[in-house]
Amino acid sequence: MVDVTQTPVERGAIATLWTEANTIQKIAALIGLALVLLAVLAPLIAPFDPLKQSLIARLRPPVGFERHKPGFWLGTDELGRDVLSRSLYGLRLTLMLALLGASIGLLLGGTLGLVAGLRRGWTEDAIMGAVDLQIAVPFTLIALLILSIFGSTLPVMVAVLGIAGWEQYARIVRAEVRRITELPFIEAARASGGPPRYIALTHVLPNIVSPLVVQFTLALSNIVILESTLSFLGLGVQPPTATLGSMVGYGRDYMPTAPWMVIVPALMIILLTFSVQILGDWLRDRADVRLRSR
Amino acid sequence: MKALLTTTAALACLATGALAQQITVGAANVSSYLDPGRDHSNVGSQFYYNTFDTLIGKNHDSIEADWQPALATEWTMIDPLTMELKLREGVTFQNGEDMTADDVVFSLNRMYQATFPPYQVRSKDRLANFAEAIKVDDYTVQVKVEREEPLWETLLNLQQVMIIPEDYTKALSGDPQVAEDGDFEAFSLAPVGTGPYAVSEFVPGEKVVYTRYDGFWGDKAPLEQATVIRIPETASRITALKTGEADIITNVAPDQLGLIDADANLKTEGSATALFHVMIMNVNHPALEDPRIRRALSLAIDRDTLNEALWYGKAIVPSTHTMAEMGALHQPDLVTFEYDPAEAKRLLDAAGYDGTEITFDTDPVYYTNGLLAAQAIVEMWSEVGVKGRVNTTSTWSGSSPDLMVRNWSNPMYFADPFGSFGVMWAPNGPSEGEGRFNTDAEYAEIWDRFRFSSDVEARKAAYAELMERIKDNPPVLPLYRPYESWAMRKGVNWAPKPGHIPYVLDFRAGSISLADS
Repeated sequence: MVDVTQTPVERGAIATLWTEANTIQKIAALIGLALVLLAVLAPLIAPFDPLKQSLIARLRPPVGFERHKPGFWLGTDELGRDVLSRSLYGLRLTLMLALLGASIGLLLGGTLGLVAGLRRGWTEDAIMGAVDLQIAVPFTLIALLILSIFGSTLPVMVAVLGIAGWEQYARIVRAEVRRITELPFIEAARASGGPPRYIALTHVLPNIVSPLVVQFTLALSNIVILESTLSFLGLGVQPPTATLGSMVGYGRDYMPTAPWMVIVPALMIILLTFSVQILGDWLRDRADVRLRSR
Repeated sequence: MKALLTTTAALACLATGALAQQITVGAANVSSYLDPGRDHSNVGSQFYYNTFDTLIGKNHDSIEADWQPALATEWTMIDPLTMELKLREGVTFQNGEDMTADDVVFSLNRMYQATFPPYQVRSKDRLANFAEAIKVDDYTVQVKVEREEPLWETLLNLQQVMIIPEDYTKALSGDPQVAEDGDFEAFSLAPVGTGPYAVSEFVPGEKVVYTRYDGFWGDKAPLEQATVIRIPETASRITALKTGEADIITNVAPDQLGLIDADANLKTEGSATALFHVMIMNVNHPALEDPRIRRALSLAIDRDTLNEALWYGKAIVPSTHTMAEMGALHQPDLVTFEYDPAEAKRLLDAAGYDGTEITFDTDPVYYTNGLLAAQAIVEMWSEVGVKGRVNTTSTWSGSSPDLMVRNWSNPMYFADPFGSFGVMWAPNGPSEGEGRFNTDAEYAEIWDRFRFSSDVEARKAAYAELMERIKDNPPVLPLYRPYESWAMRKGVNWAPKPGHIPYVLDFRAGSISLADS
C-alpha cells in the first residue's frame, strides 16, 4: 500500500521537473541518461572484448571509409582493438571513477565541514586551514606528486580523485551548519538536551542535503576532466585498461592519421561534462530560491 | 637607385644563403650532460660525433671495418701488448689549445685508469683490458693492454675514448693541475673537442647548439650552425617540421611515416638501427627462477607479427644476438630465439606455472613502439596461458629485485659481438651487476674465449656456446632491430650512415647538405 501511494507523487515530481526544465536542460538530461545507460550496459552491448587485440587489423577506419573492417563500427586503434567497445568500457570506468571520487570527496569534505561548523575553535581553524591550503595549491600538481610517489594503480587513482574536491564540500557544509545552528529549531533541540551528534545527524544534516547534491553534481564533471587530464598525461589508469582520458591521451599521436581513435572518446567526455554541468546548474537554480524565478 | 636595388638584392641573397646554412633538429630527447667518456646512452650518442674525434677514424659509409686516420695518422704494434700511434700535428681544440700527446694521454687514461665513478663504469664494461697510455713525445703515444687485444682499432674508435683537452678540463674546478671529479662534471656542461663543430650553447635536457669550428683539421663543416631542441611529443615534432620550426625531426614512429611522405615538402629517411629492442627477464625473481618459465615467455612471442604490425615489416627480427655490422663475427645461422607457442605451453605445464601475474615494465615513450609492443606481448602471453600486466613507468626498474620483465635496448656500441651482447651480458657486467642475471665459472671461461681469442673461428665458436647458454636459461630476448626514421624537409640531404653506432646525428662534410644553400 505504501508503494502504491508514493508512486504517483514521485511521478508527479519528475514530471514537474521535466515540465519546468528548458530545452537545453532537457537535452542534457537525455544525453546524461543515455550515457549512463551505455556505461551500465557496456558488457552487454559492446561488440568485442575491449582488450582483445588484432595486430593485423590495426588503425582501421570506421564504417563507410576505405579499409573498414566489418564489425568494427567505429574503427580500430593502434593495437587493432575495437574503438566502440573500448569507448563504452572507457565511459563505464570514467563514470565509475567520477562517482567514486565525488562520493569520497562528499564524505570527507562533508564530515570535516560538519565537524568544523559544530565544534568551532581550533578544530575549525585546523580544518579550514587545510581547506585554504588545498585551494592555494593547484590540485593537478598535488595529483601528479601523489601518482608519481604511489604509482598509477586504480585505488590510488580513486583516492586522488576523491580528495580532489573535498575542500569545496567542507566550505559549503561549514557555512550551512553555521547558518542553521543559529536557527530557533536547533536552539530548541539543544534546550531539550539533545546531544551534539544527535543534533548534527537528525537536524543539521537533512537541511544541508540540497547544496551538497548540487556540489556533488558539479564536482562530478570536474573529476571527469581531472581523470581525463591525468590519463592524457599517462599518469591515470594504466594500459591496456581504457578510460576516456587515456584513449584520448594515447591516441593523440594518431590524430592526423587515425582521428577516430580520439574523436569518439573526446566526444563522450564533452557530452558527459556538458550534461553533468547543465544538470548541476539546473539543480543549483532549483535549490536556490533567489535563482528559481529567473 | 638601380645600384641600390641591386645591392639590396645581393645582400638579401647572401643573407638567405647564410640562413640556409643553419638547421634546427627537433629531437625526442636531449642529453642532460655532454661527455663522450661517461655516456653510452641512445640519447647521448646523437651528439658527440660533431664535436669530438677519436684517434682512429672509420669510414661510416660502409658497415665494414674500414679504419681511417683521424687524430692518429698511423699506428703500429711494437710488441703484442703495445700499440704506438703517431698523432696528427696542427690539430687544435675548439678553445684554441693545441692538441698534443699530453691531451691524448689524459683523455685515454681518464678512462683506462678511471677515478671518476661514471668513467669507471664505462672503463669496466668495455675498456678493462686497456692498462694505460704513455707519452713518447709531443706527437707520439703508446697504448698498453693487459692481454693480447683482438679489437685494437675497434676500441680506439670508441665514443668513450674521444679526445678532450687536458689543461682546459683540469682548470674547470679546484686545482688546475689535478683532474678532479668536479672538472669532469663541469666539462660535461661545457664540452670542448677537436671536431668540426663547437658546442656554443648547451641547455641540459633541452637544447644543443653547434657552431662551425673554422680551425677544424679536416674538411670544413657544411653548416654554419645546427640547433638541436627537445620536442618530446611525436605529434609536436611533426607539427614543428610542417610549420618550418624544425628542418629535421628524430624518432618518427612508423605509423607516422605515411603522413609525412604524403607532404610534397617533406621526406623521410630511415634504417634498421644497429640496436636491438630487447625484453629482459629477471632470472632471480622468485616467479621466474625456473628457466622453463622464462623460455616459455620468450617462445610465446611472435616477433615476426610484431614486426609486420608495428614496423610494417621494416625491422629486422634476429634468430640470435647478432648483427651484419659484426663482419666475420656475424652468425645469422645460429638459432637462439624462436616462436613456438605449443612448446611454451608445454614448458609452463612442466614448470607448474601457477598463474602468477607477470609484470612487463615499460617507459611510456622512450622506445619507439615500446608501449605498443609491451601490450602486444602481454596479449601473446595470454594466448599460452600466462597472466601478464603492463606496468608503465618512467623509472628504470632494471636494477630492482622486484623486476620481472621489462623492455630495454642492446645497442651496438662498436661493431663486434663484444660491443653489444658482450658488454651487456658479460660476467660482472651491467646485467649481472644489477642483479637480474647470473654467470658462473663456466660461462666466464666461454666468455673469455669469445672476448680474447685471436682466431676468429675460435671467437665464433665460443660465441655460439654463449648463445646456447642463453637459449637454455634466457635472461633476454632480442625482439628486433627497430626501423628508426627521421623526417626532414625536402631541401635537406641527410640520412643515417650505415657505419655509425645508433642514432648519430652526423653533420660533418659529406654527411649533410642543404639544397637551397
